[in-house]
Amino acid sequence: MSKAARKALDEARETGNPELDLQEKQITSLEELPGLLSLEHITRLTLTHNRLTKVPAAIANLINLEILNLFNNIIEELPTSISSLNKLRILNVGMNRLDELPRGFGSFPVLEVLDITYNNISEGDSLPGNFFMLESLRALYMGDNDFEYISPEIKNLKNLQILSLRDNDLIVVPREIGELTRLRELHLQGNRLEVLPPEVGQLDLLGTRSCLRLEGNPWVPMIADQLLLGPSHVMDMLRNESYKFVYQRHISSGSQPPPKNFEAKNRKISRKRDVA
Amino acid sequence: MSLGAMTCTRCGDSFEPQEKIVNSNGQLWHTQCFVCAQCFRPFPDDIFYEFEGRKYCEHDFQVLFAPCCGKCNEFIIGRVIKAMNANWHPQCFTCELCMKELADLGFIRNAGRALCHECNARVKAESLGKYMCHKCHSTIDGEPLRWRGDTFHPYHFNCAACGNELTANAREVKSRPGYTANEMNELYCLRCHDKMGIPICGACRRPIEERVVTALGKHWHVEHFVCAKCEKPFMGNRHYERKGLAYCETHYHELFGNLCFVCNSVIYGDVVMALNKAWCTHHFACALCDTKMTQKTKFFEFDQRPICKKCYERFPQELKKRLKRQHEVQARGGKPAV
Repeated sequence: MSKAARKALDEARETGNPELDLQEKQITSLEELPGLLSLEHITRLTLTHNRLTKVPAAIANLINLEILNLFNNIIEELPTSISSLNKLRILNVGMNRLDELPRGFGSFPVLEVLDITYNNISEGDSLPGNFFMLESLRALYMGDNDFEYISPEIKNLKNLQILSLRDNDLIVVPREIGELTRLRELHLQGNRLEVLPPEVGQLDLLGTRSCLRLEGNPWVPMIADQLLLGPSHVMDMLRNESYKFVYQRHISSGSQPPPKNFEAKNRKISRKRDVA
Repeated sequence: MSLGAMTCTRCGDSFEPQEKIVNSNGQLWHTQCFVCAQCFRPFPDDIFYEFEGRKYCEHDFQVLFAPCCGKCNEFIIGRVIKAMNANWHPQCFTCELCMKELADLGFIRNAGRALCHECNARVKAESLGKYMCHKCHSTIDGEPLRWRGDTFHPYHFNCAACGNELTANAREVKSRPGYTANEMNELYCLRCHDKMGIPICGACRRPIEERVVTALGKHWHVEHFVCAKCEKPFMGNRHYERKGLAYCETHYHELFGNLCFVCNSVIYGDVVMALNKAWCTHHFACALCDTKMTQKTKFFEFDQRPICKKCYERFPQELKKRLKRQHEVQARGGKPAV
């Protein structure tokens, strides 16, 4: 264990500071920090920019944890016990090597912000069955992953205000997204989308505190033309009857989705590489 | 009996030898004395009526003693119906609604009227669920007037100020400071009531007789001045106005104020605003490494979150490139590079 990590740990134990910052300490395993997982009083643990490959199940001992930040490690798997952190409000596991989220992940009782940006997660087996039961979620960052579809169950995330799906492989957006009435930020740039469901037009995405990002998709001309004029023009058009017709026709035509950009995806550092 | 011993029953004088004498039931009269006790005129057709020893012509007898019909005001000869404190010809005593003769059918008194059983049943059914007037005790068809806790026909009352007959929208004025006790609980027409300057509650539109809250350019009952969101009365606590509505502190901030992106609570005091979001000053930090930042710290935008320079620089090259390209596209307003 590095000296710096030990020092930070001792300090936390002595001062009783509930916020423990262990970023950039060349930590490869939490087991090398004896006593860390018995610091029950800590409410925030920051482990950004380390070399962790896994998170031990004993992380669940930190029962008072509200913020857990594991951004930029090389974690391949999370323990199922993580969702028993009953006070966890903000979880950042961005920029790791996760292929999936563990079973029961959706049972966090008060999780508000979840960041799984820049991993290898997609729909289907990557997400546990109860994922969309995270009703307390207000921000969900899933940019830089491999989603092609989003489950219609996303409508259960009633409190969602921010949804980022930037740079995935999305082919369609489910109509149920229109039921997320509190949504204020929607990031869809860099996907394989050709159409948007007309229901998106009902959302409040143009206010002063809103954000709608649509660039970098192979949109049908009707959307592409309006996007050049600005997102507000796209929103107006989504509410048009003529667009609803175009949308229906596109959905029922069963045309081939635009191809994946494997080359770009494989440059991601989240991919496991064979050591040459 | 000699002529000299006979005297006239009326005047007591004797009779002349050739004079015509009227004999009625053994009593004797001069012809000029055998007249009606009331009008002193001879009896037409020699028909008279005797009552308590006096004789009356038919007309005067009826005027004095015969019952008079409560409906047609004619004398009643023959069967007299006594009902409703009056006398009636059998054919004149009818149901007030259907005009059926009631003499043999029997009747029911309903609000001062005589009704047949059928009509009474119908009227009773109609008045079911209606208010009763506490003055005339009949049903109130339209809106009742409420006064001192009871309901009345509005037309029984006049405005205490202008004297006009009242309608159901008359207002009862209860005790108010500055007014004497005998002005309590008077009824006023809407016009006069408005002129009295009693504040009207902006919520229930009723006059305010106790404490008045003045806010948003209106008057309110203390308990009716409530948060537009949770509907709890402010009860003197601070309220926040927005677009003509009042809110409690919590809901004003929840709806229009700043919730901190990290703690999700209302921000009191200084606020850091960035990227469509707000933070408590002490919660404003890099989204990736939790390092504290201030309003002056330069940061990068990542999914509309602030990240510090160090974290951005640690991004893999390919991500930095992509983000840069997206930034450029956005800066050009979505147009592809030329």
